[in-house]
Amino acid sequence: MTRRFIVEPRGLATWWLKLLIPVAAVIAALVIGAVFLSITGNAWLEVYKKMADTAFGSGRGFAETLVSATPLILTGVAAAIAFKMLVWNIGGEGQLIFGAITAAGVGVWLADGTPALIAVILVVAAGAVGGAFWASLSALPRVYLGTNEIITTLMLNFIALHLMQYLVYGSYSPWRDPEATQFPQGRPILDGGRIPEFFHRLDWGIFIAAAVAIFAWFVIAKTRSGFEYRIVGDSFDTARYAGIRVPRKVLGTFLASGASAGLAGSILVAGILGKMDPRSLDLGLGFTGIIVAALARLNPVAIIPVAVLMGALNNAGPSLQSIGVPSAVVMILQGAILIFAVGGEFLILNRIRRPERHVAEVKAAAEGSAA
Amino acid sequence: MPEGADRHLQPAIELRNIDKSFYGVLANDNVDFALGRGEVHALLGENGAGKSTLCSVIAGLYRPDAGEMLLDGEPLICKSPKDALAAGIGMVYQHFRLVSNLTVAENLALGNPEVGIRLSQKELEEKARELGERYDFPVDPSARIWQLSVGQQQRVEILKLLYRDARILILDEPTAVLTPQEGEALFRTMRLMADEGRSLIFVSHKLHEVKRVSDRVTVLREGRVVGSAETADAEPRDLARMMVGRDLVLPTRDPNESIGEPVLAVEELVVADERGLDAVNGLSVTVHAGEVVGIAGVSGNGQRELAQGIVGLMKVKSGRVRLGGEDVTHRSVLSKIRKGIAYVPQSRLGMGLSPGLTTEDNLALKQFRRPPYARGPLLSHKVFAERGAGLIKDFDIRGVRPGLPIRLLSGGNLQKALIAREVVQDHRVLIARSPTRGLDVGATAQVREQILAERDRGIGVLLISEDLDELLALSDRLLVIYEGEIVGEMPAGEATAERLGLLMSGHREEQHP
Repeated sequence: MTRRFIVEPRGLATWWLKLLIPVAAVIAALVIGAVFLSITGNAWLEVYKKMADTAFGSGRGFAETLVSATPLILTGVAAAIAFKMLVWNIGGEGQLIFGAITAAGVGVWLADGTPALIAVILVVAAGAVGGAFWASLSALPRVYLGTNEIITTLMLNFIALHLMQYLVYGSYSPWRDPEATQFPQGRPILDGGRIPEFFHRLDWGIFIAAAVAIFAWFVIAKTRSGFEYRIVGDSFDTARYAGIRVPRKVLGTFLASGASAGLAGSILVAGILGKMDPRSLDLGLGFTGIIVAALARLNPVAIIPVAVLMGALNNAGPSLQSIGVPSAVVMILQGAILIFAVGGEFLILNRIRRPERHVAEVKAAAEGSAA
Repeated sequence: MPEGADRHLQPAIELRNIDKSFYGVLANDNVDFALGRGEVHALLGENGAGKSTLCSVIAGLYRPDAGEMLLDGEPLICKSPKDALAAGIGMVYQHFRLVSNLTVAENLALGNPEVGIRLSQKELEEKARELGERYDFPVDPSARIWQLSVGQQQRVEILKLLYRDARILILDEPTAVLTPQEGEALFRTMRLMADEGRSLIFVSHKLHEVKRVSDRVTVLREGRVVGSAETADAEPRDLARMMVGRDLVLPTRDPNESIGEPVLAVEELVVADERGLDAVNGLSVTVHAGEVVGIAGVSGNGQRELAQGIVGLMKVKSGRVRLGGEDVTHRSVLSKIRKGIAYVPQSRLGMGLSPGLTTEDNLALKQFRRPPYARGPLLSHKVFAERGAGLIKDFDIRGVRPGLPIRLLSGGNLQKALIAREVVQDHRVLIARSPTRGLDVGATAQVREQILAERDRGIGVLLISEDLDELLALSDRLLVIYEGEIVGEMPAGEATAERLGLLMSGHREEQHP
């Protein structure tokens, strides 16, 4: 009854394995994509060349890739820091939108003469505050009443979305541009409140996003507060035992998560959009952030390259139509990458081996150490 | 001791060359084992010797990496416990597999293919009652599981197997949760089952129990069978040596002459459990500096609530906790840690340690907020590593590798790490719950030495345990807890296992005039 293969939990995965698996997931997804493209009669190599060219082939293309990546870094961080503490905040979408609402509100409300630096800081910070506030609507009941945050964050996504649409399409609110006569549009924010561009359409928001990701990593890895966070994320009971006030910690993480998503909204408003444009804010960036976080295995720094990859795919999609390929190819690739990455997770956590060889090895090792 | 008549003939089940490994460690290494018909066969060994693994292989929970099993001479392959049970092999695990909201009878019916779609409660109860009577093992079939004591729940587990007419019953450390008296009752039932021709595997690391109940004994060490003998022919000393691989002396306690001031005073404490019932009910106990006060009791009589109430993890409804005269009853957990209460909880990975963090991180779990671990908001990883390495060496914590989550260490090493951390911090009081539970002889000796060393340096130790051997070996004074109250108190010299056992099961002693 000797078994052919044995699957067992792996104690400690090596760093190269943790790196190899996601890379292999991307390659496997590209292979699947190539098969799919070939079956539908497309030259897969041409398609991939076109995509690579659009995303990375020119300065302007690369700038657009990073523009797409910026909000994904922030919503990715939002998801990662919450999930790592077993707080299932899937409301990044709503927190992003509400952050955009508050940021645009401040941007519209600021007086003309406000110095640019102060205006930018106020507008961007308003988004973080707005996102944290929107998260608090789920976080407070979760922490103090034990409600399920999956449901409340999800519901609040819809409320935020419809609130935004109401402010522009359904009412004459200060968010709506009084000069847009054809189709309702958001009112442009104060010019001084805009984040300056420095390379094609790319603005300084990318650095804010990257800094948030690195800061999140730093706090978690290097600070007292981050150590407490890691204990709470590992075991609530142990955290309580070690004297950590768990509810406060969960609340703080939840709000930080919301703030990060809200920041994504305000950087869009103060950056490329310049106003609260409901169509450009309703792209599922909060949900894509969850995929980014999962691919990055909840590591805040790894989120940066993963977000750039996802941004590149998003950026390349529309260009495919010029060669007669539907842009939905991009979604197939994104989905395939996620599936392979999740499958690869199994190989990070477990190993597969042959039994006999292993028994011999262990015996040899035991005898070696005894000698 | 009655002899099973035909147990020297073909064995009921035979294992040949069984290998089973986890995480690259061989838990069972080329194990041969034969269980005779009508035999009570004890499996003896330290923790991590591979007893539970071997049982789980027989019960179909694990599939061996190599080797074969023969049931009545026929090859047997079990893909799951269901297959094993169908073949007449059943196991009572250390952690019971019962549905606590269902009745005893309903639990018997669960997963039983003979029970059709229609459930006759009456029939089931009748059968359960009949089985209970036959094996001198009464339980109320209509009681819900949560209403039963741990000992009674264990009976239900055994009845479940008898109801399925298991011919081979595996009992994994069944006496760990029982009072001595309940243990005796279990041994009588085991004897009745064996006399009927059923075969039993009895796992234990207590020699006197093995002597008392088994016909044959097999000793495992480091995954290998190191010996097998008729119990009647086996000397306890020899068994112990086989088990440990060397002669081993447990530390003995010198009476402590220098008992100091009271350091911990618990006065009329009332603590409610999660259901809102008063699990600790007006309990008082005082611990002096340099004294070990043992609290004996059957699991579930308020021990958890007492410990957690003192350290601040559960809310105190009324009463007082004083630390060196200062009232700390309602202080936070953190404030109590800082005032000097060290705590070794029962659940190592569930509470005392953070399973996913490294050993070094875990060793800093209570001190990381202060210098030198923290400088302002920043942590010094160098200090974590250096202090951690020092403790790992001093306390002989084995199996640590850089970056390895602590949950992958063995039980003994987990406990060494936990105790190391608790005793190096500044403290006046140590509260320890069953600190040697599940540890092998070597680790047990080390933990006991630590506790006695604590006492000798003037710490007040409150030892809350279900293990009478441990309590008798370490305590200067013994109290017995029953349903949240202290029902007896005696100096260590006057305590015997029998006297404690009676008190633990609720028999109150006459007040001495």
